[in-house]
Amino acid sequence: MNAAAISVRSLVKRFALSRDLGEIIRRPFATRSATALDGVDLEVGRGEIFGLLGPNGAGKTTLLKILCTLVLPTAGDATVTGCDVVRQPSLVRQAIGYCLDTERSFYFRMTGRQNLEFFAALNNIESDRAAERIAELTEMLGLSHAIDRRFATYSNGMQQKLGLVRALMTDPHVLLLDEPTRSLDPAAAAEFRHFLRGTLVDKLNKTILIVTHSLEDASECCDRIALMGQGRISASGTWAEVRGAIRNGGTSAHQAGHL
Amino acid sequence: MKKLWAFLKRDFLIETSYRFGMLLQLSSIVFTIAGYYYLARFVGLSGFSADKVGTQGYFAFVLIGVAVHEYLTTSLEAFSRGIRESQLAGTLGALLSTQTSLPVIILLSAAYPLLWTSLVVMVYLAIGIGIFGVRFADGSLGAAGIILLLSIVAFSGLGTLSASFVMVFKRGNPVVWMFGGLSWLLGGVLYPVAVLPWWLRKASAMLPITYAIEGLRAALLRGAPWQELWPSVAPLLLIAVIIFPLGIVSFQVAARYTRIAGTLDQY
Repeated sequence: MNAAAISVRSLVKRFALSRDLGEIIRRPFATRSATALDGVDLEVGRGEIFGLLGPNGAGKTTLLKILCTLVLPTAGDATVTGCDVVRQPSLVRQAIGYCLDTERSFYFRMTGRQNLEFFAALNNIESDRAAERIAELTEMLGLSHAIDRRFATYSNGMQQKLGLVRALMTDPHVLLLDEPTRSLDPAAAAEFRHFLRGTLVDKLNKTILIVTHSLEDASECCDRIALMGQGRISASGTWAEVRGAIRNGGTSAHQAGHL
Repeated sequence: MKKLWAFLKRDFLIETSYRFGMLLQLSSIVFTIAGYYYLARFVGLSGFSADKVGTQGYFAFVLIGVAVHEYLTTSLEAFSRGIRESQLAGTLGALLSTQTSLPVIILLSAAYPLLWTSLVVMVYLAIGIGIFGVRFADGSLGAAGIILLLSIVAFSGLGTLSASFVMVFKRGNPVVWMFGGLSWLLGGVLYPVAVLPWWLRKASAMLPITYAIEGLRAALLRGAPWQELWPSVAPLLLIAVIIFPLGIVSFQVAARYTRIAGTLDQY
């Protein structure tokens, strides 16, 4: 059994690129690909908040999608709570809560509650238990007043919160969050970070891998961060350590621009 | 069962939230059946040979053809539409990161459309019986039920095959193109297959809808015994046994391909 909650070893992901007709005729058997992940190594301990930072196209979301079994890696290994993402995808999905592009991942014409009940059924949660979890989590996140309103009427912040409620419904060991504070105003984002740290990690001992562009998320909330660029991790450690590495020239100006 | 209910509830809530669309859907049932009734009257007046369409007349004949075609259309489109709508809405990633397996998600996505089609067909038959005086043979209702079930399984196999194409290519669906169009033309929906030239009859023998319609007409209109129904049931059974698992396997292959290509949630 792997002690780390998330373990990634030499992970590579290449995406095939489409070719125009002329190129297919000239070189019918050639292939073109783009490398999204180029030998990524990463370990996230249990009860840790780990932040992934980097410019757009760095490979952060691809890594998250591999960890939640939506994308298959080209090479390398990745495990979540000791379960292999390629060979044991159903066990991985039991262990994770994934909070992705929340604006487009709910049914707009259903209420927040109806959406949560639907996804709860797909996650094998009994109806009584689902009702309890919805009450408990929406109360915890301050969403209970709007839970019977249509999702279409939710503000971006409320949609984000509903995404987090859905991710927490199964009481998972590991949470994978893709830019969770992107749509929140500064006060709500600070409150959200406090919730992640104070409630989910300190009280409930969850492990959180968070993709973010927010320096506040990285500095105030994460135990450790990794800076990604062009499919590689160029620096990782605590906030102070990564800042130190940048000052010593250990990472590219483009990636460092993030910090 | 709980998951089936969850999908039915989801689709019912979404469908009924579009009230005007629902109203139009309901009214189109009445218009469709009335249209076929007057077509049947015209055909009756033109002295169409009763030995070709049965003693119940053209209206009963066409009612069964149209009902089976409704099931075919729904089965062909429901699975692929379920995938396509989830891709467009952005919910496919959320669905596939749940603890429900992909084949279960794809099969349950078609539950509501198939249930709705069953309701529509029941309304067709009720209007046919209640208003237009169609009479079905009582003795073969059980056999008709079995033929219908086999037909739905065979059609659903084609439907999952069709969803595999949508999964990979997003647009462009050769299964619907091939089976949807040809079945209407060659399956014996509006006219008996016997009126087609021999080479088109050969082509119609390749389509599951031909056997479904033949079998159901024989059971419901003539009350045919099992020995007479077997030539329709056997090919349907064979098609269902081959196509259904093939559809599921092809969908899993398509899903694996999109997981490798990273295009699962693209549209």
